[in-house]
Amino acid sequence: MSETLARQLNALGLFAICAVLLAAFVDQFLFGELPCPLCILQRAGFALAGAGLALNLLAGIRPAHYGLAILGAVAGGAVSLRQIALHMVPGTGAYGEAILGLHLYSWAFLIFGAIVAGTALMLLSSRQFTPEFALDGTRPPGRLLPALALGLFALLVLANALSTLAECGVGLCPDDPHGYRGIDVLRDLLAAGAERG
Amino acid sequence: MMSLPFLGVVIAFVLAAARARAAAVIVLLASVVVTLVLFRLHATDVLTIDL
Repeated sequence: MSETLARQLNALGLFAICAVLLAAFVDQFLFGELPCPLCILQRAGFALAGAGLALNLLAGIRPAHYGLAILGAVAGGAVSLRQIALHMVPGTGAYGEAILGLHLYSWAFLIFGAIVAGTALMLLSSRQFTPEFALDGTRPPGRLLPALALGLFALLVLANALSTLAECGVGLCPDDPHGYRGIDVLRDLLAAGAERG
Repeated sequence: MMSLPFLGVVIAFVLAAARARAAAVIVLLASVVVTLVLFRLHATDVLTIDL
């Protein structure tokens, strides 16, 4: 597999992770389901896995970057497995609505598994690690797809940082969140400041 | 505190874009560790399952 093809496949993988993060935002803002702490950590797992692919696009394709993607997916997969175990016994309830028969944490576990498998498949080819373009100073072809994937990924990760800050504030999140605690704290601080002023 | 993994990814992204690849890798590794620590802090209930 050439470096050019590997870059395009990394960009497609990053788009797939962006789709997952976007779907989580749709569930949060359109359907009003606040992410629980374990849900947020699963989003972090997707962000970390995507960051490995993003490093491939930003700093050249390296086995270490694929390794980071696998580590992120394993961390996120561990969190989703914990959440599945919390709800797998009949009668223990579930968190959120099921989509296509599975809850989001079950989907997350399957997708983390797919990320590990896909990254392992990418690692089977060693030719991609030989730079084709860096030596002669020319730029690689097909730069639009990686640039779009990187831009969308950066926006979504930043949005997740802000959304988590709004929901949890600067501390840990409550196990069963009911609102945007960070925004409430900020509002109280502003009100207290206005009273003093 | 729960935002830290995301902020770590953003910082790593900026470092990689600024050609500081090694620093980006270290920040990402630290973010994985932070995620696992946060996971440990939240996984407090004993599961009633028989493995």
